[in-house]
Amino acid sequence: MLIDFRFKALDPIRNNVNWVLRPLEYVMMAPRNAFEATSDYFTTRSTLDQENQAMKVRQAELSLLANQSEFLMVENQNLRELMALQKQVPFKTLPVEILFNPPNPISQRIVINRGSNDGLKLGNPIANDAGILGQVVRLYERSAEVSLLEDRDFAVPVQVARNGLRAAVFGAGRGNPLELRYLPVASDLEVGDILLTSGIDGVYPPGFAVAVISKIERNADKNSSNVFCVPVAAVNRYRQALAFLYDPQFDAKAPTLNNKSASGTPQTNTPGRRQTRARGMQ
Amino acid sequence: MIDFQSGYILRPVNPVFIYFSLFCALLLNLLPIGNYGWVPDWLIICIVFWNIHQHRYVSVIWAFALGLMMDVHNSDLLGLHAFSYSLVSYLAISWHRRIVALTVLSQAVHLIPIFLLVSLFPVLVHWLLSGEFYWWALTGAIQALIEAMLWPIATRILLAPQRRPIDVDHNRPL
Repeated sequence: MLIDFRFKALDPIRNNVNWVLRPLEYVMMAPRNAFEATSDYFTTRSTLDQENQAMKVRQAELSLLANQSEFLMVENQNLRELMALQKQVPFKTLPVEILFNPPNPISQRIVINRGSNDGLKLGNPIANDAGILGQVVRLYERSAEVSLLEDRDFAVPVQVARNGLRAAVFGAGRGNPLELRYLPVASDLEVGDILLTSGIDGVYPPGFAVAVISKIERNADKNSSNVFCVPVAAVNRYRQALAFLYDPQFDAKAPTLNNKSASGTPQTNTPGRRQTRARGMQ
Repeated sequence: MIDFQSGYILRPVNPVFIYFSLFCALLLNLLPIGNYGWVPDWLIICIVFWNIHQHRYVSVIWAFALGLMMDVHNSDLLGLHAFSYSLVSYLAISWHRRIVALTVLSQAVHLIPIFLLVSLFPVLVHWLLSGEFYWWALTGAIQALIEAMLWPIATRILLAPQRRPIDVDHNRPL
């Protein structure tokens, strides 16, 4: 255990055991999948009709937005070029399916069905249509483990959408609301503010929703405020998600291959590379 | 072996059945139920059962190997379950003479500390390694109690093949 904790030397063993175990896990997922498939199959006509209607409206809205955004994006890039600013890095997305969440009282993770063979890298963010879900922390060949936002000490650099205030959201363990830490009392925050990723860490692309502020306790004695937020994306609800293969050029590269950058001792402390969890087990 | 409840001598155990039951318990553990603290750990019930009843077939090494698998499945620190399973199976083997002689219910009560050790071990190790204590994770105690409650059922199921009568008298079916 100590060897794994300190040196991460046992990854070959883990990979091999995982190779044996994963087919069995797939087998045991069959009953649940079959149940879901049948309940999907027997949805009534009217539900489908309603859903279809809603989808059509949504699609119309989105296509309108898409047309607009194409134009805006080009304009934005041109303006940035004019002002000699850093360009926004385009990135690919990879649809992933959430397989299961491993029973583990301490951490909050999910296992997805894409791995290093599909081009996934350590530290890639995972999101669904609503917002950021988490980040890849351990990579196998055909699967990967993702640490969720709720995971303890899981940090995401964010920006308040209303006024651009920068901060960092921290996970506080299972079932607890997320926290915005290190903010003075006088900071301009309101309940209901949406927090977007700021992109300064080079892990998360900028502008994706992370959380909504749900409660603020201002503490004038200590000149600090406890701010609690709720994740935007329903973490334990859907089976499909997207992985962002995001790799901005200005960032120090992730340490190669092995499951190093995600947890444990700080191996690389290069600026811009965020330590996901400075201490704690996984 | 003697079944202390009925006083009858049990039939010899079939090793294939032992390993098959361990495999089934492993599969049950892989069921995607979700990350809840109370879901019983079927595998450790099965391991402890065979440790107590047939420790020649299922020894500490088996517990270690199966624990390693659970580590990978749970994305735990490698060796966490492996260590706790082998510790517990050592305890179970050293207690087996005493425990077999008890009635099933008091066996279950005797096994509560063993199951508690397994379910709280990750919390303790995490506490040792990082200095943070997860009070929330102490709900694992519920898991241990549920496992102890499942013990009579496990005894019923896993001993059933050995309880078959040897000579079936077709004229007087019982």
